[in-house]
Amino acid sequence: MGDKIVVPGTGVEVPLDLDLSRRELLKIAGYGSIAAFLAACAGGSPTTTTTTSVTAKGGSVSLGSYLSDAVPKKGLQSVVDAFISANGGTKVKVNTVDHGTFQNQINSYLQGTPEDVFTWFSGHRMRFFADKGLAAPIDDAWNEIKGNFTEGFAASVKGNDGHVYAIPTSYYPWAVFYRKDVFQQHSYSVPNNWDDFKKLADQMKKDGLTPIAFADKDGWPAMGTFDILNLRLNGYDFHTELCVGKQKWTDARVAKVFQKWSELTPYYSPAFAGLTWQEAAQQLLHKKAGMYLLGLFVSEQFVASGNPDDLNQLDFFPFPDVGSNFDAEKALDAPIDVFMMAKHSPTLGSDTGQAKAFLEFMSKGSTQITYWKTSPGAIPTANDADQSQYPALTKKAAQIVSSAKRITQFFDRDSRPDFSGPNSMQGFLLRYLSNPKQDTTSLQGQMQSFWDSLPPE
Amino acid sequence: MSAITSSRGPRPARLVLHGFLIVMALVWIFPLFWAIYSSLRPISDTIQNGYLSWPSGGLSLVNYQTVWSQADLPYYYANTLVIAVPAVILTLLLASMVAFACTQFSWRFNLATLMIFTAGNLLPPQVIIVPLYRIYLNTPIPVWSSIDIGQFSFPIFSDRGLLYDQYIGIMLIHIVFQTGFAAFVLSNYMKTISKEITESAIVDGAHVLRIWWNIVLPLCRPALAALGTLLFTFIYNDFFWALILISTGAKRPITSALNNLQGEFFVNNNLIAAGALLVAIPPVIAYMFLQKQFIAGLTLGSTKG
Repeated sequence: MGDKIVVPGTGVEVPLDLDLSRRELLKIAGYGSIAAFLAACAGGSPTTTTTTSVTAKGGSVSLGSYLSDAVPKKGLQSVVDAFISANGGTKVKVNTVDHGTFQNQINSYLQGTPEDVFTWFSGHRMRFFADKGLAAPIDDAWNEIKGNFTEGFAASVKGNDGHVYAIPTSYYPWAVFYRKDVFQQHSYSVPNNWDDFKKLADQMKKDGLTPIAFADKDGWPAMGTFDILNLRLNGYDFHTELCVGKQKWTDARVAKVFQKWSELTPYYSPAFAGLTWQEAAQQLLHKKAGMYLLGLFVSEQFVASGNPDDLNQLDFFPFPDVGSNFDAEKALDAPIDVFMMAKHSPTLGSDTGQAKAFLEFMSKGSTQITYWKTSPGAIPTANDADQSQYPALTKKAAQIVSSAKRITQFFDRDSRPDFSGPNSMQGFLLRYLSNPKQDTTSLQGQMQSFWDSLPPE
Repeated sequence: MSAITSSRGPRPARLVLHGFLIVMALVWIFPLFWAIYSSLRPISDTIQNGYLSWPSGGLSLVNYQTVWSQADLPYYYANTLVIAVPAVILTLLLASMVAFACTQFSWRFNLATLMIFTAGNLLPPQVIIVPLYRIYLNTPIPVWSSIDIGQFSFPIFSDRGLLYDQYIGIMLIHIVFQTGFAAFVLSNYMKTISKEITESAIVDGAHVLRIWWNIVLPLCRPALAALGTLLFTFIYNDFFWALILISTGAKRPITSALNNLQGEFFVNNNLIAAGALLVAIPPVIAYMFLQKQFIAGLTLGSTKG
């Protein structure tokens, strides 16, 4: 032990080929890299770079997509196929990343080596990346096609600097869902105002139903109720300003939202803090609950039940008026999904024309219908989309959104991400919901001081 | 002792013990059973009747078929193997070199070297991720040909000229992170190998590399096998590095393939259960395959004669 052992020095066989090859490998990695790097940079599209937008043919474009679920993935593929044949055989490379990862990694994705075009959301989430210089403006493409969109959609894709950064492609509304057969059976009628809404809930309670299905295990569903109450009570302007910190959380108007909300919480599903939205949707599906305020995606649970009658019975009404000056706005959450262009894409230089051509292709009603046919969960945005094929539920959804004077994107898309997570807004709302009758002054104070503690964006 | 007790028949304490063990075993097996049971039922069945119900439409393997095709499982298995197998082999080779040098020879800094390797292991990966991300984005790597097999295309070094978004990048960071731990384990094992073996090898004129490869490594086979299984499981289960350092969905490992089964809102739990069970199989196979190595007991008699 502890003796010095002299290492024999010279003329020895190296026992392993493996060792050599690994060294070789490291050497190649070390020295051969710069030339290869340059070669890689050049290895983009083989076509001439005619960067006149719109009419680009051939060439190539890459597309980063979070549409990873089987159904939307197929929908996107059918759109891509249609684009390729319509655009003279442009090469389209699609990189599909599951949507959870895509959203979590969006920051590093956009700073790294993103694709030319990527799927994203409108609202603050879009403007954030535009402000950071990670998204490329597409005003010229937008000018060609803007006639195909309503003013609401046009406003939703503008950055803070006034430039356009996205093409809206689909959306879905939040509303109060119910089963037609349950309403028929008990001869309920759709409530238009707050008092009728509460009367109906009382009646449902008497009839042994959970009046309002509610689930907040995942934190985000409660934000939908906050949004709609704030919109109805205090109006679109206050809500959107509150979301970006131009209004204070300590405002008496926020307290009013919580007070109003506490009138609804007695009608909620028991133990809602431990339920997922799917479990609450189950209550509606099984006729145990009467109503459910959620996005149109609640229908997916009804589709998955395998019984077509469940889906046929599903219907909804817009959130009732609360008797404020802002009822007339008919504002609601209708999150819009968009396609954007990534500024840091290594291939964008040569692909810009094709990327814009793809964005313009996505703005066509016919394209959006192609996608919608394969993946009917969200509604096309284009004015010239052929609505005649829509089922009743989709038609109605399109109608309540178009009759809304103001559209918001849902709290987590309208506010900054670090204020809409589990440690912030979602946590605050859960704490409120644990005791809805509480005096919310201190809670609002905490919300405001949390906002104030956030670093500038 | 045991023969005497058993001839007297079971004692109450023993009955209690076995009762306890059976209950514990059931508690442990229950979630697995539940996952298997769910995975065999179509989602419409559980939506109609709830999870706590007998299957109305019978059990079927349809979820497994869907997972296999919809989530491209074979493809992602290959992705993980392409990263994990070379990473495990290289980690074991490098770590055994470190352990060999630090335990079989006395030199001034051998303990310090070992401590540095082990200390690196204490650093949480999250701490270094931002600089690492920048390093990967700024490290050029040669573009060389790729191995194409059907829909599989594995660039040997890089297909973008960067370390970012490459199999080799993930492989390297795994090797770097696991070498510390592996060196620590292997050095502890190598300390039990008696110095006489290496000394007699030197007397016989063996070169250092030869002692490492022909004498010490064979003696370490049980440790290497155990460590290999462990490393394979670590790397197989890793989600973090690939999450940050890979941007192409098709290059991600199997653990992320499960995410492809989740809808943006709707989650088919039965499908996920089937996927999770399929994904859990390879580490079990790896363990069973390398299990034989544990029993080897190679050190016995190695110093004799």
